[in-house]
Amino acid sequence: MIPRHQRILFWCLFACIVAMGVFLFLERKRARDRIGALADATPIDAPYSNTESVTLDLASDADGSVTATTRPIALPDEIAPRARALLEHLVAEYALPGSPHPLESGAAVDDVFLLPLPVVGHALDTSGSATSAKPTQSGGNTTIPVASTDPNALQPQTPGGELAVINLRSSFVNAHPSGVEVESLTLLSMIGTLHANLPQIEQIRFLVDGQQRETLAGHADLLRTYPSHDTTIQATVPDSP
Amino acid sequence: MKPATSALAKSAALLLALASISCLAQNNPAQTSPAPTPAAPATGSTAPAHPAPSPAPPSPFNRTVILLDPAHGGLDSGSRISESIVEKDVTLTFAFKLRSLLAARGFSVVMTRDSDAATLPNTPGTPLTLDDRAGIANHAHPVACLLLHATAAGAGIHLYSSELDAPDPNAAETFGAPWLTAQAAWVTQSQRLQKSLGLALTRANIPLVQSRASVRPVDSLTCPALVVELAPNAGDNASLIDSTYQQHVAEVIATALVFWQNQAQPPDRATPTPTGAQP
Repeated sequence: MIPRHQRILFWCLFACIVAMGVFLFLERKRARDRIGALADATPIDAPYSNTESVTLDLASDADGSVTATTRPIALPDEIAPRARALLEHLVAEYALPGSPHPLESGAAVDDVFLLPLPVVGHALDTSGSATSAKPTQSGGNTTIPVASTDPNALQPQTPGGELAVINLRSSFVNAHPSGVEVESLTLLSMIGTLHANLPQIEQIRFLVDGQQRETLAGHADLLRTYPSHDTTIQATVPDSP
Repeated sequence: MKPATSALAKSAALLLALASISCLAQNNPAQTSPAPTPAAPATGSTAPAHPAPSPAPPSPFNRTVILLDPAHGGLDSGSRISESIVEKDVTLTFAFKLRSLLAARGFSVVMTRDSDAATLPNTPGTPLTLDDRAGIANHAHPVACLLLHATAAGAGIHLYSSELDAPDPNAAETFGAPWLTAQAAWVTQSQRLQKSLGLALTRANIPLVQSRASVRPVDSLTCPALVVELAPNAGDNASLIDSTYQQHVAEVIATALVFWQNQAQPPDRATPTPTGAQP
């Protein structure tokens, strides 16, 4: 005959085991959700497998330099997904342990939009002639492209030049380190990488979750249009004036 | 034959008359000049023997004025250096040290804020915008504008000049300059100031990073302007509030500005054209 106190102890221990099992199951599920939220692996572009050698302009906070580095990376063929994939690989480099320009891991770029230069608007064709090239039908009305009258409007340097609008994720921008140097290096690194691999991109603008934002993290200007150019910077050694 | 002879004689007489008239005109040109019309101004007929010297254009800056802009302030804390250190406090402390050293060297120092709150001087309740800071700087006509920042990244001092390109000297001159590109005329001077400060900091063995950056409101300043970012000494974030470190950097910058005081030149567009150069 098992004594009464031993039976009570047994059932108490059994209840503890069941409770711990339930607790571990819930914690495991919560951890998986947290990791899944950090690494958004939703496939957006078609899979691609052919690797190619691309140039990434990598920044270093220690000496303020931006250095062109070659990496074998598989990229899509279309320009806009290619630009987005390039920037994602660039930010992924910075998220690696021991990075000279450490940034938070996670998706940084929501999308990249390419607009042919010069940027034109559209107006309703009230004349009815619609003789201009390729008028479009919109809600039953004919629209025609209208060139901007602004003398400071964006103009292409070469025929076929494009404006790239990079839509950053707010999760990336909000977690970005604050400072003139770190913010400028991030922008220069992105601009230089696009310039090295996609020369048809002549000018670059930045949005955050589809909206304009004044600065990246309190310093670097995100409202202006940046020219796409070689941004590699060597560690500076001032010369005599 | 007779009519032909008379026509020939008439042509010869006409030619002789024209030749005599042209000779008379060469000998006395004043007689052939057109008479002044009644509407012509009387003063235009006589040019002064010695033209009065044109007044010298006002200097675009005051060589004894320095502008210091401690970035952020009030609700805008700037970057968080550590749990207890925020950028706005570091920039203000550093600005006070720099102001004392510059005043001791004879400079008049204008600061965009001298307390934690970043508000307009005349209307204390109104927050100080970046454009307001540029306005204060442009009204002071300083020989140098230093926008002070601080960061936990990197080491030493980071010096940045505007990313704007200098205006094309061959381009047609326009009246005024757009607000967001006003610094373009001064970029060359800003880069010279950057070299001058960079050389002084390197000689003082302070780690230095020099580059160009687009940080508002530097592009709207009409003075030699630099962004001066104070970074930790030897990777220690606490050094940003270390009085000795700040004093050392401030002394180097103040000494370099004494030399800059006499090196600064007006921007190209503000340089008066030499009188003798005009045809």
